Order: sequence, then structure tokens, then C-alpha cells
Amino acid sequence: MKRVLLEALLVAAVGAVIAFAANALSPRGLKLTQDYFHGETAPVPRAKAKPTQTIANSTNSSADPVVARLKEKGLQVVNGEQASELFHDPLYQQGGIIFIDARNDEHYQGGHIPGAYQFDNYHPENYMGIIFPVCQAAQRIVVYCTGGNCEDSQFAALTLRDAQIPNEKLFVYTGGITEWTNRGYTVEFGERNSGKIQK
Amino acid sequence: MDPATKRKRLDFVAVLARWFLGGIFIYMGLVKALDPVTFLKLVREYEIVANPVLLNLIASVLPWFEVFCGVMLLTGVAVRGSALLLFGMLIPFTLIVFKRALAIASAEGILFCAVKFNCGCGGGDVYICQKLIENTGLMLLALLPLIGLGKKWALRFSFWRKETVTAEPAPAPA
Repeated sequence: MKRVLLEALLVAAVGAVIAFAANALSPRGLKLTQDYFHGETAPVPRAKAKPTQTIANSTNSSADPVVARLKEKGLQVVNGEQASELFHDPLYQQGGIIFIDARNDEHYQGGHIPGAYQFDNYHPENYMGIIFPVCQAAQRIVVYCTGGNCEDSQFAALTLRDAQIPNEKLFVYTGGITEWTNRGYTVEFGERNSGKIQK
Repeated sequence: MDPATKRKRLDFVAVLARWFLGGIFIYMGLVKALDPVTFLKLVREYEIVANPVLLNLIASVLPWFEVFCGVMLLTGVAVRGSALLLFGMLIPFTLIVFKRALAIASAEGILFCAVKFNCGCGGGDVYICQKLIENTGLMLLALLPLIGLGKKWALRFSFWRKETVTAEPAPAPA
């Protein structure tokens, strides 16, 4: 039995070294010292889904646990109508208002708000070079993710705030892409400004 | 059936168990290792680790470690030690998943076996009772190489001495 234990320890040691190396070499690897969740140790409690319930209408009400948490963090919130108004504002075409999609490549390519920039909070180094000057120039920045209990927009907004983007510019669209598509608004596929627009 | 044939058959079953277990851990590990962000979020949902470094460590290193142990079992290197590690990992994983399912059942007011969620095990959304049966099965399979069965077609069954069985011994001359 002692031999088996020693063998297990040896396998554990070699396995740990290989696992660390694999994570370090993987382009999808995580940075061990980074706090991706900005001190939020627990996720937002899951909403109890009811058969008739949809997430077609996001609110700014603090009764919503997602909104309450965002406000607690000092972040501003926009609902679906406000997001649509900002999208149709002439400033949007001039870069005064920008939308930031906080989801990963696969989801972004699968459909995002037309003209939205991508910012995957879990690999910020890949996006900061493009996003940062655009955010500096913008007057309003609307960050969104999937909607519902998705917290990636919150974490992306907090990462931008940590990078010295003024908090008063930052807005989180809690309804996210799910509400946006449910409302029948246009969606862009593929790269930003790919021209592949669909309603 | 004579004891030698019985033993031979059991050993063959143990080899299949070793391969199956190795394959499962390689697959489950790779699913998580190739999408560590999703696994990181799922681990966070358990609310058992608050420290971000520890959380990142679990999400980034554990999947590759599972893959490594799976490869060891599949190739038959340090089999008993690897099986012990997998067995030892399956116990806390199963308990944690069980505890979380209890919490979900209580919060949503549903039957325990009706709880379906992504436990971060690598197989997506799964019913809890099915998951518990699967994990129990994996633990039982891990016991076979752990007790020393399944040496056939192993590259180096033990680190300490060569216990490889590659061919049947030639019959003794009459």
C-alpha cells in the first residue's frame, strides 16, 4: 500500500507540473493571479424560471438582483428601450456612443449588436489595444453580454473602470443580446462591420 | 471455470475498465481544459472557494491533471497510483455535486432527481441522479486497477518494478 501511495504522490507531482505548463502554454489558459470576478465570490442567485416568463423586458429596478448588484458596484444600467435610443442616436455613428459585447469569440461571431466592439473580459490583453482608445474617445459606453444572470458585462465594465475609463461613461445593458434579438432589433454576424446584418 | 481462466477474464475486464476510465478522464478533462473560462464560472457557482488565485488554480490546472491521469491509465503507466488519484478525486467531486444538487432542489422546490444542471464535470447539463450513478460506476471501475488488476497491455504498470504482461507465458514442456 505504501508503494501505491508513493506512486500516487509521484504521479500527482509530475501531473501538476505538466498541468501548470499546459495552462501556461494554452492560448485559452487562465492567468492565475487575475481576479476575473472583481471580488464577487458568489454569482447572482439563479432566477426561478416560470413557464410564462420571458426576459423580453429588462428594467432599471433595484428589485432585480442583477440591477441591484450593478448599482451596488456603482455602475449605471440601461434597459432595452434606452439601449435602442442610444443605438439610434447620431452620436453612435460618430463614435460618441459605443457598444461593447463582453462575450467570447464564438458568441460574438454568432450575432452582436451592429457595430459593437468585442471585449472578452477573460482575455483583456487581446482587446485592450483596440478598445481603450475607443473608450477614451467615447462619451457613453454601453456594455452587454447574454442578459439574464450573465455577469460578464458587469466584469467587463469594472475592468474598463479599473483601466481608468471614467465610471460616468459606463452603462450596463442588462437585457443583453437575448433581449435585443427578442425585440426584433438588427444583429450583425461575424466580424465588426462585416455588413452581415439580419433582423 | 478454473481459477486461472477466471482470473484471466477478470484481468481482461480490468484492462477494459482501465481504458474506459482513462478515455473518460481524457475526454472530460479536455472539454474543460479547452474552455477554462466556462469551467471557472461553474467552479465559482459552487461557492466553496473565495480566493481568486485558488479558483483560477482549480479551473486551469485540474482539467489538465485529469487528462494526465487519464493518459497514464490508458497507456498503463503507474496504474495503481493514477487510479488511486482518480478515485480520491471522484469522492470529493461527487460529494460537492451532491451538496449543490440538494441546495438547488431546496431552492427550486423540486425533487432531488429532477435537478438538472451543469456540474462542471465535462458533460454539460445532467440529471443529478444520473451523475451520481455515473460517478459511483467510475469509482468502482477505478477499484479494479487499484487492486492490481488489468496489467495486460500496460507499458509499465508500476513505477517501482516492471509488472508488464504483454504475452501469455509459453507452456512448460511435458
